[in-house]
Amino acid sequence: MADREEHQGLLDGDRDEDEGDKAPSVHLNPICDPNHLLHRILVLIFMCFLGFGSYFCYDNPAALQSQVIQDMNLNTASFMQLYAWYSWPNVVLCFLGGFLLDRVFGIRLGTVIFSLFVLVGQIIFAAGALANHFWLMNVGRFVFGIGGESLAVAQNTYAVNWFKGKELNLVFGLQLSMARLGSTVNMNVIGWVYGRIQMSMGSAGPTTLGITLMIAASTCLFSLICALVLGFLDKRAERILNKEQGKTGEVIKLTDVKDFSVSLWLIFIICVAYYVAIFPFIGLGQVFFIEKFGFTPVQARAINSVVYIISAPASPLLGFLVDKTGRNVMWVMLAVITTLLSHMMLAFTFWNPWIAMSLLGVSYSLLACALWPMVAFVVPEHQLGTAYGFMQSIQNLGLAVMSIAAGSILDVRGYLFLEVFFIACLCMALLAVVLLYLFDYYKEGGLNLSAATRSKRAKPE
Amino acid sequence: FLGRGDAFRRKVSVELNPGLAPPLSLPPGVGLVHLRGLGDNDTLHFVLCNAGAPALLLVHSNSTRSAVTVDWPEFINSSSAGSLRVEPESSVTYSSALVFTRLWEYDDVNNTADPQKAAESSFYPPYELQNFVWSELNTTLNQSEHTVVLCGGEKTQSFSNGSLCLQVSVFESQGRDEAWPSLLHNANSSQLRVWINGVTPRGNNSRFILEFQSVGDAGFQSRVDMRSSIDDEYTPSIFKVSEWVSSPVNSSSVWGFSQWKPVAYRKARPVFEDATACRHSELVFVNGTPPSAVIQAYFTHNTRIYGLNISFGLAEDPVFYDATKYISWTVLMGLGDPPSDSFSPLIIIIITVGLVTPLVFIILGGVFVCVRKRTSQSTAYEPIN
Repeated sequence: MADREEHQGLLDGDRDEDEGDKAPSVHLNPICDPNHLLHRILVLIFMCFLGFGSYFCYDNPAALQSQVIQDMNLNTASFMQLYAWYSWPNVVLCFLGGFLLDRVFGIRLGTVIFSLFVLVGQIIFAAGALANHFWLMNVGRFVFGIGGESLAVAQNTYAVNWFKGKELNLVFGLQLSMARLGSTVNMNVIGWVYGRIQMSMGSAGPTTLGITLMIAASTCLFSLICALVLGFLDKRAERILNKEQGKTGEVIKLTDVKDFSVSLWLIFIICVAYYVAIFPFIGLGQVFFIEKFGFTPVQARAINSVVYIISAPASPLLGFLVDKTGRNVMWVMLAVITTLLSHMMLAFTFWNPWIAMSLLGVSYSLLACALWPMVAFVVPEHQLGTAYGFMQSIQNLGLAVMSIAAGSILDVRGYLFLEVFFIACLCMALLAVVLLYLFDYYKEGGLNLSAATRSKRAKPE
Repeated sequence: FLGRGDAFRRKVSVELNPGLAPPLSLPPGVGLVHLRGLGDNDTLHFVLCNAGAPALLLVHSNSTRSAVTVDWPEFINSSSAGSLRVEPESSVTYSSALVFTRLWEYDDVNNTADPQKAAESSFYPPYELQNFVWSELNTTLNQSEHTVVLCGGEKTQSFSNGSLCLQVSVFESQGRDEAWPSLLHNANSSQLRVWINGVTPRGNNSRFILEFQSVGDAGFQSRVDMRSSIDDEYTPSIFKVSEWVSSPVNSSSVWGFSQWKPVAYRKARPVFEDATACRHSELVFVNGTPPSAVIQAYFTHNTRIYGLNISFGLAEDPVFYDATKYISWTVLMGLGDPPSDSFSPLIIIIITVGLVTPLVFIILGGVFVCVRKRTSQSTAYEPIN
């Protein structure tokens, strides 16, 4: 399959680029030739590792939950602030990220700047631990958050710029897999790193935590280097191919919000209610598996990362499945119901949690594949940027608020009640899916059409 | 006769030193509290006494007119067997007692929080509770709440600013304390809260162990079970319950119990992070009656005595007793089957509303879609290709 696309790429590669019809006649080594697949693979590697650092460090608190709480002398609610502070800047930045990349910095400089934010944020975060100031750690997470989410936008822009009309879907899939890999590696490695440092220092404490987080910051440095290399390669390709610098193409107009349809608002509700039951749960999961299922910390970290592990290979596969079959609403409903089931298993049974967590991993991937593309069906193309920005923004708002809420619930009422809270959120998501289906059916919208009908409709007779 | 403890109520009355009249008197700080739970057709007597090691005696009688009688001269002089009786003796169906014998302290240098793994040399000489000096009982007796608090300590430097306290509560009906671990109690149970406050530890890594003995009729045997529970809403993050149950030899029916959750708290008003673990040792047979006056005075027949230790602290936890100089632990002691937690109404309501609402919409929506499909089929026209 990649082969066939490669041939196509070779045949009409030049015409694909709007401006790039003056390909150089100079004969370059394939790996250095921006038109050649080998070179694109090289670029892809840097592109994938661009987000590695931020994904690795995003879940540092979850992987070190008990250590952070103990060393910094926190309660769970204040621990969850670390996640909330990551989300706060993104409530606004989701609208601004695209604008900053397109108009202010340009993709290359923007990527470097956002990578710098990620690195500096992580260093401040670690310094906060070293200095034993929890507020400084929050500041670090805030700065980290400014960079993190926008870096993902930049990564996507690079991908579109280099792979549009070629292996774009595969590249998106690979980038997502890479992101999940970063989270997984973090979950399974950082606790071990902490243990080694604790051993060599002889005791645990804020210093141990700080050193561990500083080591984690090296992944962000690595990502920054990737950003610099990518910038260089992109600049070089621009020179050789005479192509333009990539644009997100996002035009955000907040006044568009009043034109949003009922369907879109329902999609927003699903998005918030669903993700609220996933990410805060992973953030708090480690101790849950230790206390309820008697796992060792190592096992608990492993099972806590299984959602990410599964989503790495499952995302591209399920994306393919959804693309081929259509019927997005039904897939979303299935994903919400299976997530609901797995949360109920975790809450009300002592069944091996690997079952529930694996199910959660699959349904989480399925939802991501089926939910996000639906926005494109209910919004005119010129409003797409605003719609996606808005969706990410309220998702971040929801996560910020609910992270703290989840921490407080746990502190006062325990894990069963927390799980019931997540189940209630999922029930709300389910209700929204059902309403979405009915509304769409009533309005004869196209959300739940099969792929075949959809393509039939798309073709003007 | 054991009935279900949650279904009914008892009328509880509390009396200090019943029948004791001058010139007879107990030594200062020593007392005997009789907590009487009167049911519809039975009586549950609890007797707390700190002459010697503090002990809580439970006696169940199937008569509503049963009474605790103390032969005071005899009890004060020698606590000879029979000087404390529940009469009529033929109405007594079950009796058992819990005695707090010692407080152990050890230096947990390897931070295992497991006394079995600690070296013998790391143990300090235990505090014998029979030698403790106690504060006056009549000041801490609460007639309306049916509680009594017993605080005391050894006359040594360690206890100059600290004490070991026992709070005994008896209940008229089902309920739970607001303070964690919020054990579910019923009219057939009493609750004992033990806390060690402000005691100066003798080592840098001191952890404490409470030593108990249970005394029961020779016809009963004990075992300790650890049960898992999915419900941690009353005791956050604790999913286990330990039950020390007593059942007749050759029978599995449970007649009496002690129940606790494997958690202790490091502050008087704990938050989530102040919880720490507690673990219990194996049950062991003990020879010889424990040094408690009420036990010696009540049990005339053959007894079977078990010993059990409860140790506090979490392995690898850098926080030792010294950090807060406080540890508290709660145990329920009662008659019949130990109570078990069930979901709170709030959880049931949330789950029901949460699941039923989308279901209703799915059903209504399904009907709507079916009807619409029917009607549109009859009126729709096929597009001409």
